[in-house]
Amino acid sequence: MIEVKNVTKTYGKKNNAFVALDNVSFTIPDGASVAILGKSGSGKSTLMHAISGLDKPEKGEIIIDGKNILALNQKAIDKFRSRTISFIFQSFFVQANESCYDNVSLPLEISGTAVNRRKKRIEDALTAVELLDKKKSRARDLSGGQKQRLAVARAIVGNPRILFADEPTGNLDSATGQVVEDLLFGYNKDNDVTLIVVTHDPDLAKRCDIQIHIKDGKIESIEGNE
Amino acid sequence: MTTRDILRRARRSLAQAKVRTILTSLAIAVGAFTVTLALAAGEGGRQYTEEMVKTSGDAGSLNVYPKRIEPKNDKLTEYGTAENSPSQRNTLSESDVAKIKKIDGVANVQPIYDIQPRYVTRGDGYKKYVAAVNVKIHRTEMKLSAGSLDDNRIPIGGISVSEELLSSFGFSNATSAIGQKIIINFPKLTASGESTEESFNKTFKIAAVDHGTDATLYYQPSLNISVDDGKEVYDYQMSGSSSDKYDGVVVELKDGVDVKNAKETIAGQNYEVYSLQDIRETLLQMVNIAQWGMVAFGALAILASIFGIINTQYISVLERTQQIGLMKALGARKKDIARLFRYEAAWVGFLGGVAGTVLALLVGFANPLIAKTLGLEKGVELLVFQPLTSLILIIVMMTIAISAGYFPSRKAAKLDPIEALRTE
Repeated sequence: MIEVKNVTKTYGKKNNAFVALDNVSFTIPDGASVAILGKSGSGKSTLMHAISGLDKPEKGEIIIDGKNILALNQKAIDKFRSRTISFIFQSFFVQANESCYDNVSLPLEISGTAVNRRKKRIEDALTAVELLDKKKSRARDLSGGQKQRLAVARAIVGNPRILFADEPTGNLDSATGQVVEDLLFGYNKDNDVTLIVVTHDPDLAKRCDIQIHIKDGKIESIEGNE
Repeated sequence: MTTRDILRRARRSLAQAKVRTILTSLAIAVGAFTVTLALAAGEGGRQYTEEMVKTSGDAGSLNVYPKRIEPKNDKLTEYGTAENSPSQRNTLSESDVAKIKKIDGVANVQPIYDIQPRYVTRGDGYKKYVAAVNVKIHRTEMKLSAGSLDDNRIPIGGISVSEELLSSFGFSNATSAIGQKIIINFPKLTASGESTEESFNKTFKIAAVDHGTDATLYYQPSLNISVDDGKEVYDYQMSGSSSDKYDGVVVELKDGVDVKNAKETIAGQNYEVYSLQDIRETLLQMVNIAQWGMVAFGALAILASIFGIINTQYISVLERTQQIGLMKALGARKKDIARLFRYEAAWVGFLGGVAGTVLALLVGFANPLIAKTLGLEKGVELLVFQPLTSLILIIVMMTIAISAGYFPSRKAAKLDPIEALRTE
């Protein structure tokens, strides 16, 4: 369960101060799929960064599995990021010069997974996104949809409990976007992994269990499909 | 992240920027090349000097002569005053020999026998020649063309002949001369040192044929006889006068005795003392100065290359902002990121160090050419490479490169992942 309690994040100082998140509170149950919706500049990315421990709001608590991650030291946060969560980005951020295999290997290297246990997990992840045959190809030779599928493989190889997707289909046409969406929701349902999607695409948001609408740093509404 | 993983990623990053990696490494290679050559030339120079000293005399022994009477306060000493009695002090006597023998650390005192042959021949039916005959007192190394010497001493009844003189005596080659006889005629001398009609022939057997080397400081083709034979001849030649007047003596020191200390002790007893050790040290000092001068130039090149590394690394950090951001978002620790860039710098240092060393080793193949150009003997190597030095140098290069990569790697480690991953 993810509990966000009274989180406030301000950028800049005094007169130039800009409140990106203003006293935000909500709860996400385990295994849910959540869409964070809002226009650009609404604070949705800041919210994602806060929940993933990349950013530190000055007020509030973010409690994941009973621990307030805002109170953790850097080492514990790094560990939390490498063991518990994972990311998918709009611009993929796959390493163009590396092979698909090495791209997927990165999170395992960071989390310190033993070398002899990596191969199977990497191949399983590549199989899940149907890229096993491209294992030795360089990422730069892949199409946009393939790159995002590679990013999905990289995101799931470490068996995360929470998966963040920042506009995962923003750079894809609707057909390939559909494939990536199916992958994400499939993984969410099959593995009981919490999926948090940041998007301004209403169609993508509708597929999620919960939609959190953000406007000017405040929660406008929270809708549930159930 | 494990060291192995980081090393692999560092190597891969460098491989992706091949031209840049090679150029940056080359800057270090120039420095490593210069330093390696300087050290090799220094080592070669030192070995050559040692060789020169060894064949020119025995650095473990001292030549002792009567004290020279020097001007005092810029004034010459008046003849016949109490301070000197020149007739006694121009030579050393048996009592001097006994006195020096008692000094600590002295193993043996050997008078220098100055002998004067009238002629040298192979016997009846052969021509008679004028040649220099010396008594070989020092254990100075002789370069032999044929025959053998025990501890570089001439055996009693034996003689060494310079290769250059063989043809005069009618020997076709060095080997054929070994064991052949040489007869030398020695005249008896008057008290004033002039030859008299009275003389005696002494027969020697050729024990060795020697030749000079370019490394020998002073080489004169001559014949050398043993100390015992020298004494016999000297006593005969001097029998007309007092024969315990020596121009000088050679003092052999016991093993392990400090030549410098012994020299000072003997000089303190009012003798003039010369040692090849002095020349050796002066020469070595010159070699060392030249070597470190060259090393300094190499160090300048390395200094310049440091800026190259810093620059390249900064560019690399900028280029890979997104990669660094991703790694940090995925939980990579700051120190892992810093290590990634430090290892890249270490690779660059390693490549540069190895390239420079290998290039320098290739220059080493020019050794025969260098020797030829400088007119040195065949086989003399003026560039002497030592594996350990090269290894240390490569490690030093890596250390320098890592230090140079400190600031760029810190910049990478401090990068804010949110900034780094901002989609543009």
